[in-house]
Amino acid sequence: MELCGIPLQTPLIPASGTLAKEALGEVEGVYGAMLPKTTTPAPRVGNPPPRVAETPAGMVNSIGLQNPGVERFIEDLDAFGLGITLFVSAAGDTVEEFGALCELLGADERISAIELNLSCPNVELGGLTFCARPASVEEVVANCRRTTSKPIFAKLTFEGVVENARAAEAAGADALTVMNTIPALTVDAHSRSVLVRGGLSGPAIKPVALRAVYEVSRAVGVPVIGSGGVTCGLDVAEFMLAGSTVVQVGTASFVRDPKQILEEFAAYLKREGLAAAELTGGLLHK
Amino acid sequence: MRFHSVAVEERGEVGRYTVLRYRWPGPVEPGQFVMARAAGYPVTLDPFLARPFSFYDHDGEVASLLFVVRGRGTALLDRADRIDVSAPLGRGFRVEPSRERAVLLGGGVGIAPLKILGRRLGELGVPHDVFLGFADAPIAAAASDFLGAGVATIDGSVGTHGTVLDAVPDLDSYGAVYACGPNPMLAAVKHAAGGLLCQLSVEERMGCGNGSCNGCAVPVRGGYVRSCVEGPVFPAEALAW
Repeated sequence: MELCGIPLQTPLIPASGTLAKEALGEVEGVYGAMLPKTTTPAPRVGNPPPRVAETPAGMVNSIGLQNPGVERFIEDLDAFGLGITLFVSAAGDTVEEFGALCELLGADERISAIELNLSCPNVELGGLTFCARPASVEEVVANCRRTTSKPIFAKLTFEGVVENARAAEAAGADALTVMNTIPALTVDAHSRSVLVRGGLSGPAIKPVALRAVYEVSRAVGVPVIGSGGVTCGLDVAEFMLAGSTVVQVGTASFVRDPKQILEEFAAYLKREGLAAAELTGGLLHK
Repeated sequence: MRFHSVAVEERGEVGRYTVLRYRWPGPVEPGQFVMARAAGYPVTLDPFLARPFSFYDHDGEVASLLFVVRGRGTALLDRADRIDVSAPLGRGFRVEPSRERAVLLGGGVGIAPLKILGRRLGELGVPHDVFLGFADAPIAAAASDFLGAGVATIDGSVGTHGTVLDAVPDLDSYGAVYACGPNPMLAAVKHAAGGLLCQLSVEERMGCGNGSCNGCAVPVRGGYVRSCVEGPVFPAEALAW
C-alpha cells in the first residue's frame, strides 16, 4: 500500500477525531497511519453537552473541535508515534490560520502528511460557511501549499464535493479525503428540544460517501481517501472499487474492534483471488 | 473498541431494575463501567452504539450490571442470553482504609455502583451507611438489595419524603461522601458536602467509552473533560457545577 509516495502497512487510517491516545493499545497493527483529532491554532473548549446522540445505524456528534491547541498538540505528539506513519488533521478559521498551521506542522519531521479539515459541520466560523465553496477551498489549499512540501490532503464535505475536489486538486492538494460527516439533527420529543445538532456518521452515511468517492475519483487525478460509514471488510473493498486508494475507519471503531475489519478485508481478497492493489483507485472505472 | 461476548449467567430483578450477571474473572474497581449491548453485531444497527453501565457488583469471578429498561437498547439487553461487554473502563472511586465513617448516596439507577463500593469498603474495614433516593415506592423496592439502607422517595410513599439528602440525619458527621445519581442530585450533594472528602460518579451520554469521541463532556474549571477516561468518578471539587 502507498499513498502519495508514503508506504502504509495497511489500507486503513483512523478518521480524525475517532481514536484517542488512550485507545492506541487496542489497535496495534490495524492502521497504516495514525491520524489524531484535528488541531487548531488556539485551544478550543468544545461545545456544551449533549454532544452525541444515537440514530439508527449511526450517531450524530457535535464536539466542536475540542482540542488543546497546536502548541500542546505538538508537545504530545510522541504519544501517537509508536513507530507508525503519522498524519495530522488541521483546521483554522481563516486562510492565514490554515497556512500558519501547515507551516508549523509541515516543519515537524515526525509528521508525514497534513489533512486539512475543510468541512467540520460543528464549528460556525470554520465549517460549512467557510469552506463549502470551491473558491475558498482553492484559496485555503493554495496558501497551505506554499508553506510546506509535505503531502496535503483536503477533507471535503458532501455538499458540492466534485467542484470542491477539482478546486483542491487545482490548488495543489496531493489527495482528497471524501467525506466528512453530514449535517444532521436529532430531536428529543419528550423534552421537546433539540438534542444534538451536528454531523451524522456511521453505516447510515455509507451509500452517500460511496457516491461521493465514485464521483470525485472520476473527476480528479489525485488519490481519494474514502471515509464514511466503513464498518466491515466488504465496505473497505466497496470504497476501493468506487475509487478510494485507502480508507478511513471512524465511528465503527466505537462498536467493534477495527482489527476485525482488516481481517475481513484480507479474507475477501483471498476469497476473490485479488490483491489490494488491483482494487484501489476504482476498479469500477476501468 | 474490543468487545467480549459473554453468556448471561443469571437475570434477576431488583425492584423495577434488571440485574444481569456474567463471568468476569479480571479485576474491577468500584465505580468503573463497561460498554455493553445485546450480542449480535452486525445485526444490531439499531441500536447502533453500546451503552455505558456501572458495575453493580463483582465478587472476583462474577460481575453484575443493574439497569432500567428505558429504550430499545436496554429492552434488547434485558432479554439477551449473550451480551457484548468491554473490559472495565474509566476511573472509579479512590478509597483507602479508614476508621472514619463514610456515607454512600444513590439516586435512582445511580444506586448501581454503591453495591460494589459497599463491598470494597467492607473489605477495607471502612464503616459506612447507605442512603438511597427514588421517585416512588415501586422503584424504591430496589433498596431491599442494600441491607440497612435509608430510603427517601420524592412522592413520600416510602421512607423519608424528599430527596436522598433529606434522608441523611447529619452529613457533616461523616468522613467521606460517595455518590452516584442524576447530575442535579450530584450538584446538590457537592453543595451539601462542603469541605468533606466527596467523590461523585457522573452520568453522561457516551459514544465510544474509551476517550476517542469526546462525546461525554463533563464541565470542569476551564473547559470539559471526558467522563469515560478522566471519570466517571470525579472529586466533587473538580466539577464546575
